[in-house]
Amino acid sequence: MTTQPVADDDAERKKNRYHFDRHTPDYREKFTDVTAQMLDKCPIAWSDTYGGHWVAAGHSEVFELARSAGHLSNDHDPQHERRGYKGISIPSPDVAFRGGFLEMDPPEQRHYRQLLNPYLSPAAVARWTPLVDEIVRASLNEKIETGRIDFVDDLANIVPAVLTLGMLGIPLKNWDIYVEPIHASVYTSPNSPDIARIQTSRLAMRDDMAAQLAEIRANPRPGLIDALARAEINGSVPPDFELLGIIALLMGGGFDTTTALTARSLEWLSEHPARREQLSAQRGALLDSATEEFLRYFTPAPGDGRTISADCVLAGQEFKEGERVWLSWAMSNRDPAVFPNPNEVDLARTGNRHHSFGLGIHRCIGSNVARMVFKRMVTAVLDRMPDYVCDPAGAEHYQTIGIIQGMKHLPATFTPGPRIGDGLDETIARMQVLVDEEELAAPVTARKGPAVAG
Amino acid sequence: MKVHVDPERCQGHTLCSMIAPALFTLSDEDGHSTAIDGEVPADQESKADEAIRSCPEQAISVIP
Repeated sequence: MTTQPVADDDAERKKNRYHFDRHTPDYREKFTDVTAQMLDKCPIAWSDTYGGHWVAAGHSEVFELARSAGHLSNDHDPQHERRGYKGISIPSPDVAFRGGFLEMDPPEQRHYRQLLNPYLSPAAVARWTPLVDEIVRASLNEKIETGRIDFVDDLANIVPAVLTLGMLGIPLKNWDIYVEPIHASVYTSPNSPDIARIQTSRLAMRDDMAAQLAEIRANPRPGLIDALARAEINGSVPPDFELLGIIALLMGGGFDTTTALTARSLEWLSEHPARREQLSAQRGALLDSATEEFLRYFTPAPGDGRTISADCVLAGQEFKEGERVWLSWAMSNRDPAVFPNPNEVDLARTGNRHHSFGLGIHRCIGSNVARMVFKRMVTAVLDRMPDYVCDPAGAEHYQTIGIIQGMKHLPATFTPGPRIGDGLDETIARMQVLVDEEELAAPVTARKGPAVAG
Repeated sequence: MKVHVDPERCQGHTLCSMIAPALFTLSDEDGHSTAIDGEVPADQESKADEAIRSCPEQAISVIP
């Protein structure tokens, strides 16, 4: 034998080691320290957790890896039809099907992106702003006279859900079939006594999703589902389970992430009232940079897994085909080499090239939606509840931040104010008429110009 | 100075047009960016610089 024993080779390649377990409450509590240690000592490290995987924490390392789609695969292949890769979750969940185009590689992934981009581009998203403002106004109406609100349950869960359904082409009033299972399945542990109830609500959601796909196929109405129902990918019609995986991806991406960003930001603004007043007074100058800073600091979706698809050296590290890598957007967003005072929120930060929407060909397809909805929700709260104070005793963060860095509840009190216009149910009914009459969910290639609400 | 967006690197993050709307145009279909032709006006140079520093894909460069 002339080759080195594999173990020796591995010991050298894996000499930077760090026990990394992002699914423990401990990681949430020590996030700042763990991040500083990894950035300082091992911006790429081998962790023995979950069968062993690489963890990339450094900004330049994550940048290089995420943009190397030729060597990193997103493919999830639970049926072992290709190479058996395990997709973007570490550990990989025990599921039969992959999670939409985020668990595909080009060219297939690119076909889906090109199909759906015209529904989610900045120009397409701008048309929904009047509808979002109406749903926000009505959601706040439901609580404005009482002086009490839960920003998660009463605002940040509702608006992204209603908008996402509208863009998909699902009736807006169905939002409450979807919001609970998507939100709760992110934060509920499989051992929780609540899991049976959540499974039941998940089944109701899957049933409605399948029914909507069938209904839209039979009686086409515009939206993302219509695009999927008509799709031909590589010359063939994708099976329904593939399309349902994509619809679930769009919902998972559209709902809980923006909810998390909004809740965390509103909580921070309550804790920093002078900065809140500054943001409100100078929103023309600060709202964009503040939004990017909240995205950087809270990183709602903290990372993505990949599989090395060919032996390679990237960012100075030697990788072997088949190895798993965790790309930590959250930790790379705290790299002091790129972000001065990375653990401070600077509402006017410049040069903020954060990784919160990912990088490269898998950049969050809903990033334009997220920014718009977040800004409309936050500014409406600043206008109508300017003195709100969150209740720390009632604020409930997710126990772990392995999947989404979100909150279950964020109760607050404020000086009561007057209702403006109608309530949520009436508004949703009116907005459905708007969606239908204006064909708001049609792709931007078919129609342009903002909706006229009210 | 002139600015250029590398179409192979741009992924449609849209930060450049958020920072310097006079210098960058986004595709209606996918939000990918194109820089204006010609010289960056003197009063836009600091915005051009900030757009370059903010691009997550590092897709924007200066053409001397």
